[in-house]
Amino acid sequence: MCVDISYTIMNCRSEVLEVSVEGRQVDEAMLAVLHTILLHRSTGKFHYKKEGTYSIGTVGTQDVDCDFIDFTFVRVSSDELDRVIRKAVAEFKDALGNSGSDGMGQISLEFYQKKKSRWPFSDECIPWEVWSIKVNVVNLANEQERQICREKVGEKLGEKVINIVEVINRHDYLPKMPTQSEVDNVFDTSLKDVQPYLYKITYQITDSLGTSVSTTMRRLIKDTLAL
Amino acid sequence: MAHFDTEYQRLEASYSDSPPGEENLLVHVPEGSKSPWHHIENLDLFFQRVYNLHQKNGFTCMLLGEIFELVQLVFVVAFTVFLANCVDYDILFANKFVNHTDSSKVTLPDAFLPVDVCSARIHDNVFVIFILIISGVFWLHRLVKFIYNICCYWEIRSFYINALKMTMADIPYFTWQEVQARIIEIQKEHQICIHKKELTELDIYHRILRFKNYMVAMVNKSLLPVRFCLPLLGNTVFYTRGLKYNFELIFFWGPGSLFENEWSLKPEYKRGGNRLELADRLSSRILWIGIANLLLCPVILIWQILYAFFSYTEVIKREPGSLGARCWSLYGRFYLRHFNELDHELMSRLSKGYKASSKYMNCFMSPLLTVVAKNVAFFAGSILAVLIALTIYDEDVLAVEHVLSSITLLGVCITICRSFIPDKHMVYCPEQLLKVILAHIHYMPDHWQGNAHRYETRDEFAQLFQYKAVFILEELLSPVITPFILIFCLRRKSLEIIDFFRNFTVDVVGVGDTCSFAQMDVRQHGHPAWMSAGKTEASIYQQAEDGKTELSLMHFAITNPHWQPPRESTHFISLLKEKVHREAAAVQQGVIAENPAFTSTHSQSDSEPRSLIANLLMGPPSLASLHLGREGSINPVSIGVSEGASALHSISPVSTSLHLRGSYPSARLPRPDHPAVVAGRAMTGSGTDARTISSGSSAWEGQLTSMILSEYASTEMSIHALYMHEMHKQQSRGEVSRHTWHRQESDESSESVNEDIEAARNFPRSSTFPTTSHQEGPAQQSSSQRRYGGASDPVSGSFRAQRTPRMPMGGWSEENQMGRHHDPVPEEGSEDELPPQIHKVQHASVNMKQW
Repeated sequence: MCVDISYTIMNCRSEVLEVSVEGRQVDEAMLAVLHTILLHRSTGKFHYKKEGTYSIGTVGTQDVDCDFIDFTFVRVSSDELDRVIRKAVAEFKDALGNSGSDGMGQISLEFYQKKKSRWPFSDECIPWEVWSIKVNVVNLANEQERQICREKVGEKLGEKVINIVEVINRHDYLPKMPTQSEVDNVFDTSLKDVQPYLYKITYQITDSLGTSVSTTMRRLIKDTLAL
Repeated sequence: MAHFDTEYQRLEASYSDSPPGEENLLVHVPEGSKSPWHHIENLDLFFQRVYNLHQKNGFTCMLLGEIFELVQLVFVVAFTVFLANCVDYDILFANKFVNHTDSSKVTLPDAFLPVDVCSARIHDNVFVIFILIISGVFWLHRLVKFIYNICCYWEIRSFYINALKMTMADIPYFTWQEVQARIIEIQKEHQICIHKKELTELDIYHRILRFKNYMVAMVNKSLLPVRFCLPLLGNTVFYTRGLKYNFELIFFWGPGSLFENEWSLKPEYKRGGNRLELADRLSSRILWIGIANLLLCPVILIWQILYAFFSYTEVIKREPGSLGARCWSLYGRFYLRHFNELDHELMSRLSKGYKASSKYMNCFMSPLLTVVAKNVAFFAGSILAVLIALTIYDEDVLAVEHVLSSITLLGVCITICRSFIPDKHMVYCPEQLLKVILAHIHYMPDHWQGNAHRYETRDEFAQLFQYKAVFILEELLSPVITPFILIFCLRRKSLEIIDFFRNFTVDVVGVGDTCSFAQMDVRQHGHPAWMSAGKTEASIYQQAEDGKTELSLMHFAITNPHWQPPRESTHFISLLKEKVHREAAAVQQGVIAENPAFTSTHSQSDSEPRSLIANLLMGPPSLASLHLGREGSINPVSIGVSEGASALHSISPVSTSLHLRGSYPSARLPRPDHPAVVAGRAMTGSGTDARTISSGSSAWEGQLTSMILSEYASTEMSIHALYMHEMHKQQSRGEVSRHTWHRQESDESSESVNEDIEAARNFPRSSTFPTTSHQEGPAQQSSSQRRYGGASDPVSGSFRAQRTPRMPMGGWSEENQMGRHHDPVPEEGSEDELPPQIHKVQHASVNMKQW
């Protein structure tokens, strides 16, 4: 099993997006961003054939209209994937609501690949791209402001989508297409209809932004070993 | 939320999940991750391991070395315990007689106690049990580390074999530069680093030397408390491995250190906002670590003593002179190290300077001691001779009590005395020797030049180049002294340390947080007195001392000819080279006109000023023939420059049309009938030629072994270092020199700034503090004045002469006017009794307002 990795990772791209939204817009905004990224980081299912070749299945897309934001985004039409993302976002929203702080949080979507290693070590999960979305929840006084916010957040999200697409078009490092035996090290093959790169969604509420005790302990042990 | 299905739907019905009827058209071939080396998680560790494996000459050597270390450890402990508990010394010293039935000879096994007595003695001795337990824990820790390391290095081994295509047997014959070139090559294919398509040499160096660069910078800026002014010993340097280990523990990797992981500083340390709070936290951490050191002190001390005993007694017995030998001190290694200089580069440089340095130190043999030593050696020698003669006549003499031991002692005594008697054929020319040393060690405080014959210079040099015996003694004392240095000296610097890490850390894409000095950016950290006047924008606080930025830049550019420096640095390098060529051409003509027969008359050529450089190129052994240069017709002021410049000219390509192939064989085979000097020049000439050509066109890269390149690179660097020092000397001529050597802890230096010394003494913390309000005024004034002067007239030294005492931003000031002789500095203790925190906070508030 892979362990979580603290939020600064060395050999890894990291992109940070920031959004300010109203409380009820949080989940839709998060869904919009996460789904947009995943849309570009998913492929159709691979079907391996003989002689080490494969063909790629198809991916459907779906438009999603938001209720609280003037915005429509495109997502992969995979209900399973959608369910997973929604669950993560809902957890994040709950944590944000329960935290009692002034509504700052960060949700990150991390793409990684697994590396098989020799006996004494467990498999490594090496992230290659991390998207961090910093959320700032604002409180609005009246309906008029809400209306303005609804439009503004929509515009902002549009910009973010453009940003994401720009980053993705940059032709940076992507894991190489795997052979059949290694496909699980690169892609998440658990879904029936779509095959995203291995990803992990984590969130942090501002209060707990420091490194956890367990990571510190692990580092201590590693450091003493690596003396 | 409403979903509107668009026409782009997944083809649910399709059987094979590929476009119907086109199964054979859309077929992909997986690239597969054939190499496991793409996208490595921790590149710092990875490169460090690659470097270590290379330095340790391959996997097998390393494995063997580590295994032997483990065995050694067991042996040391076991043997000590055995000697202490299981030997009957009475039998050994023949105070007690053993009753043997068959023979009267005492054998070694007779002296051993029986096993049961022995184990009983061990069981009864609590102290021994304690030591055994501690060393057992230590050994287990080493064992686990060893196994872990072996697993890690096994990966690196397969990296060498599969990715770099080098077998383990070949590793010792590849230079690091070659290994590095291959790593850069395979990055294109394997993408070990995912941020960049291509790695640069500097990236790799930054990764391997991340923390070392910080340490070098901290020593350079006199941040670490390693210089002390002691009542009896005077100005001393105390920097041991134990202290270094503790510094690293505090700053870089220990629990709660400033660094979050190997490659990034914790974000709170990058913000200036709560620096005071962070400084407090750091200071209390240092306190705890100091206390831990104090508690562990007996254990470490015992270990050090045991270790020293077993590793040095054998050497001392074999050659007692080795205690009188010298070695480069740990402090010296940090003082002399360039930014981005790997261990092996530093060591080869220092080793080249070793002979000249010991010669220089031998120049200062005390005449009194020599007389005494000569006579002691005479008497001891006579007695020894008689004893030996008697022994030869009849070996029963040996059986007389104490004859063997007195022969041994007398022998040791004579060897020691001999080390105090200078070589009869040695010529006293410290100034030139020092220049030769400088050519190798590259750094030297300004005031040494022209003062090489003085004892002060010698003493200061001895801080870099200490007796081996002193080194061992310091290591032995280290466990006791380290906790006090941590608690009383380092803790006071915590705010400066916090400031240092905040101000001098840059985040380099794909590398992480590195020390900004290590960028070797002349613009940011250049020193106007080191030929970067007009280019540098650094404040005094940001300038690296002793021309470290400039020299490091030259060094790195020369050792890594393929490296593309940033624009300003390229400009700096090309400007320097152009200057050198211009001056060299002028000087060369003059010299040739004077002495046209130079090449043919070797016997006279060592009275020629250039012979210094020639000798230098030929290597240290020929230095014995050094004489003072003929200074008749050449202006003594410019001698240094002309030496450097002409030598540089002679080794730099006179005509770039000179073809590599033409010059290469001549480098390999200097004709025997040539005078040695000419051969030396020819070698270097062609070598540099080759370098320049190869860096210009890649056609020859494959043909030149980088071994040759690196050899000539060091020569070229030596000469550049000499030249830069000469330029610096001329530039600062007539100025109040900037005695970075004697740069004191800022407490003392700021005392010289403050008129009221007494007041400063009462507020030690306040003067350490950066930018105290009353001191910032003059600092900024003078620095702007300096900048103005620097821009208008880079060579003129007049603007520096009127420098007023300044306090740089971080609280370092170099004292001027005080010369090299310092007033005795108040003892540490008197300052420590004061409650420093209060004053610190006061001044902090003043400071915050200023911001």
